[in-house]
Amino acid sequence: MMSDSPTPPPCSLKALAMLNALGRSNDEIWPRLVSGDQGHLTIRDDIVPDRSLWVGEVPGPLPAIPESLRRFACRNNALTLAALEQIHDTLDDVTAAVGRDRVAVVMGSSTSGVSDAERAIRHQVETGSLAPSFHYEQLEFGGLSRFVAELLDLRGPAYTLSTACSSGARALASARSLLALGLADAVVAGATDTLCGLTTNGFSALQVVSDEITNPCSRNRKGLTLGEGTALFVVTREAGGIQLRGAGESSEAHHMSAPDPSGAGAETAMRAALRDAGLAPDAIAYLNLHGTGTALNDAMECSAIARSFPSPPPCSSTKPLVGHTLGAAGALEAGFCWLMLDAQEDGEIALIPHVYDGDFDPELPPIPLATKGMREPVGPLMSNSFGFGGNNCCLILGKGPA
Amino acid sequence: MNTTVLRSWAAWSPGREDERAWRAWAARPVALEREGQPEVAFLPALLRRRCSTLTRIMLATGFGCCDAADRANARTVFASRHGNINESISLFERLSRGQPLSPARFSHTVHNAQAGLFSIAAENRLPSSSLAAQDDTFACGFVEALTHLQREPERAVLLVMADIPLDPTFSPLVDEPVAAYGLGLLLANDGDGQKIAFSSAASDAPPAPRAWPEAMEFLRWLIGAEPDLELGSGRVRWSWSRVADGSAQRTGFAAPSTA
Repeated sequence: MMSDSPTPPPCSLKALAMLNALGRSNDEIWPRLVSGDQGHLTIRDDIVPDRSLWVGEVPGPLPAIPESLRRFACRNNALTLAALEQIHDTLDDVTAAVGRDRVAVVMGSSTSGVSDAERAIRHQVETGSLAPSFHYEQLEFGGLSRFVAELLDLRGPAYTLSTACSSGARALASARSLLALGLADAVVAGATDTLCGLTTNGFSALQVVSDEITNPCSRNRKGLTLGEGTALFVVTREAGGIQLRGAGESSEAHHMSAPDPSGAGAETAMRAALRDAGLAPDAIAYLNLHGTGTALNDAMECSAIARSFPSPPPCSSTKPLVGHTLGAAGALEAGFCWLMLDAQEDGEIALIPHVYDGDFDPELPPIPLATKGMREPVGPLMSNSFGFGGNNCCLILGKGPA
Repeated sequence: MNTTVLRSWAAWSPGREDERAWRAWAARPVALEREGQPEVAFLPALLRRRCSTLTRIMLATGFGCCDAADRANARTVFASRHGNINESISLFERLSRGQPLSPARFSHTVHNAQAGLFSIAAENRLPSSSLAAQDDTFACGFVEALTHLQREPERAVLLVMADIPLDPTFSPLVDEPVAAYGLGLLLANDGDGQKIAFSSAASDAPPAPRAWPEAMEFLRWLIGAEPDLELGSGRVRWSWSRVADGSAQRTGFAAPSTA
């Protein structure tokens, strides 16, 4: 957990592209995020039998996967392609500068092409054979990172981390280590997940999906709202700009689908991230909560924050705005921190508000929740991601010295 | 070029469960068996009942190359191309018929299910990665293990790579050597063991056809005497070579044990 290694080289999050329920570009997403706009969640009654659920779907059509890569043609990869198109210029410049064999790809996903595989299997149940458009590369987790590598003709290591809801955060932590090791000179890192029947019905069976929009930290919280999205970063060893300054990880040795109620695993990850970044807890200007809105998560996360921070920073969960995007959440929420830092003005950042019914659960240790219009002096920002199987990852982003 | 020390290994495939059997296989390799599962008698009965074949293989090889202290104190990397996809198929079928899912079965379809079960069984609370990379899964598992050695240089990393044959629903769609197998490697920045140098480079050479999985080709090299190993997917060439360094000879390996 504690790293005794020499200070790692700079880790620049040089460019960011995102799609989620709030929009299809950073320019669309940021104003909706900072104003706490919940108007982009929609209701779907065709995913879980006999249930109508709020979901965060990416609106609008997605680009077609090139014909030569049609074995990768699934919604998850189309979302990824839409993000890659936005950072095309940076990718070209970086690849030209370091060489394509020096660019790695580390993606996170917990669904990969499951939604397309579900259609293929339904076709088989109905007709006796898999849908002809189905290829195994759409479903397997490694297909996502290989798709990115083949599309861009990158020849560094390319793999997909799948540690449930910490996948995307973990992809950024691994990207930073690949650069520090010299195994790559640039990394395309991020995560993509797609709404699908398997996860929605699975979480529904676990009784953690709410009928209403998720309401984290409220005494009335009833579970999570699912979403989908992608966030991709170009990560390099350059100084300046917005940096990944720290990462902390832990496992819980507790349960396959429930967090340790003490929050010990979450606390370990946060403390490790602070140590890794060389920061005291009071340096953190804002904390993006895992904040799923389940009874257990919010209780253990608030306890862990209360123990890790003598005086916790303003916090918010962004899941009431975009849904819980599963493995992509860690990358998206790092992306939201990136947008906050990028939009700084006069040495201040506008915080993303915590949107809920305002009825803070008196059973939870009190933590300060960010409200609309709140501003803080620029400082490092923390983002929590906690996954199934007790797999936690906490990241710290901040402005680097120029 | 990165160097690491391989402190110990353990491997499992049906009918090949100890060092002697693997040495015999490495000397005269043949295609590996597809059916069977290890005993995992070291697990408590309650946990053993929840173990799928893949889980049994990953835990048997993970526990097999670690002593109790390593098991609880190493970071871990679990690499599998297919993971629990076979378990997902029946859930997809239930969904297509509008039937409800079992919460426990759903929880065990996540790619990090084995990492979670290992963490519980070994009481290991250290960072853990689970990954997949098609036919580069073993090599990328090795890369991810190196990233953990970078993050915490003093601590060993347990890398476990395993797969089982894909269900017939999907197996016609994948061209690969089919086997049930697992390989556990305990890696560190120092200590007793075989010192290994690793690097990767771009390659357009088509991968060599092989009758056994890449991880097992690595094991064959490890047991054998060749100085270097190259594996590739047609995109990247992965290279390992022995670094002669004092006592670091293959006699330093612990004998695999699943007890």
